[in-house]
Amino acid sequence: MTKANRSERKKVIRSAIIVFAAFIAVWQIISTLTPLRDFVPSASSVISAFIRSFYIPIGKHTMPHHVAVSLFRVLVAFGIACFTGVILGVLMGYFRIAEAIIKPIFEFIRPIPPLAWIPMSILWFGIGNTSKFFIIFLGCFTFITVNTYVGTKSVDPVLIGAARMLGANERQVFLRVVLPSTVPYIFAGLHIAITAGWSAVVGAELIRSDDGVGWIVNMGMVTGNTVQVMVGMMAIGIVGFVLATAMAALERRLCKWNQQEGM
Amino acid sequence: MESTRRDVTKNNKVIICENVSKTFEGKKGSVNRVLDNISFSVRENEFLVLFGPGQCGKTTLLNIIAGLEKPTSGRVIVNNKEVTAPGADKGMVYQTIALFPWLTVMGNVEFGPKVRGVPKKERQEKAKYFIDLVGLNGFEKHYPSQLSGGMRQRVGIARAYCNDPYVMLLDEPFGHLDAQTRYMMEDELQRIWQKEKRTIVFVTNNIEEALYLADRIILLTNCPSTIKKEYIIDLPRPRNYVDKRFLQLRKEITMNMDKSQY
Repeated sequence: MTKANRSERKKVIRSAIIVFAAFIAVWQIISTLTPLRDFVPSASSVISAFIRSFYIPIGKHTMPHHVAVSLFRVLVAFGIACFTGVILGVLMGYFRIAEAIIKPIFEFIRPIPPLAWIPMSILWFGIGNTSKFFIIFLGCFTFITVNTYVGTKSVDPVLIGAARMLGANERQVFLRVVLPSTVPYIFAGLHIAITAGWSAVVGAELIRSDDGVGWIVNMGMVTGNTVQVMVGMMAIGIVGFVLATAMAALERRLCKWNQQEGM
Repeated sequence: MESTRRDVTKNNKVIICENVSKTFEGKKGSVNRVLDNISFSVRENEFLVLFGPGQCGKTTLLNIIAGLEKPTSGRVIVNNKEVTAPGADKGMVYQTIALFPWLTVMGNVEFGPKVRGVPKKERQEKAKYFIDLVGLNGFEKHYPSQLSGGMRQRVGIARAYCNDPYVMLLDEPFGHLDAQTRYMMEDELQRIWQKEKRTIVFVTNNIEEALYLADRIILLTNCPSTIKKEYIIDLPRPRNYVDKRFLQLRKEITMNMDKSQY
């Protein structure tokens, strides 16, 4: 990274901190000094409840446990979604027959929101973790599939010709040209999918459970505890932000070649 | 692994185009005749330039020699074999350069030998030789996005050379470069070709470039293209753009060239 880049980054981080501080200040003012205070728990009460949740359990567990359980559910589902999404996407993009068979079904299933699957999911997989994996999986796999599909479709035909001219056979064209040129598209899909999967966690944990950040929100809603709801929301926001940032860092590392003109 | 080495025992015409015609069929049965009965041959180590107005089918002709497109009638013979498919015996350099952006300079140059199963040490030594030859020593680990246009096309030339092709096919390779880089690359290509002689077919619509590089120029007409005239260019190398004979030939060929249709 160049010097200019680094100072640019510092600026971005500094302005982000200022924006957050201002946001919390405005929140605090609205929730204590305006008539809206009856509807919004105060920033100080939510933040202190959030900090307390690290040593005083919400339900049976403390915050680290809730986060870990939700992360586990999301990462398992995300892993399965990566695997199936990339394979389906490549099949659809590369083989006409696969496209003809899978695409209509896929386009039909795509607009159904993960939440709508909960009843069927409970019927098929029960109320254990499998159901939750399934709901989160549905929340992220479409993004990976669509992006991989588009990526495989948009491989530059001149590059395929160039590989053939250099002596590559069908298999080598696929492995050494089609797949690598699809990678940036796959990563864009993974990026959206990890965020989508993580936000599906609230829905998934509607299915009977006694832990997870989604459960904190759902249980807060059931018991009318708005502070607890917002503590859960805060945890989801923070972890989601970290996941997206980690994904972007991984992408930068693995797709070095895809960075724009920089000499 | 198929050998791509020269086989000059039979004759020294390494590329033979026999009555090559190409028609594209558009929508609603419209027919677009691009090449009309073109025949010529190229000698071993000759630098042949296919020259003609824009959109006249030069690239189509080159793609047919490469095996990337099939002629509607006629045939092309390279190294005593009829061309039916693209392959490593023909090295191609593209106007759009067409490097693999996810591979480094080394990765691009060694791509051909790699897919053909040449052992790692051998192919990397060879790739290194050609990277040095095109003047990119020290840039082995750079990605194409980190290079300038001229440097990228040097990689394109090294990549084609490294596969040890029987003929080199260059499709307006300097068409996207700025004028100054273009002059430099023409000199570079000439230097590389004189060090590593190959049979070259070079497509261009730039008369200066054609005269500067060619042993022989084939002038094509507008669509449907036929061969209008051939010029043997026997000016001594390196050539001078403002040499009297150079300017004379330039005038003559330009006068004979069809107006571009576009």
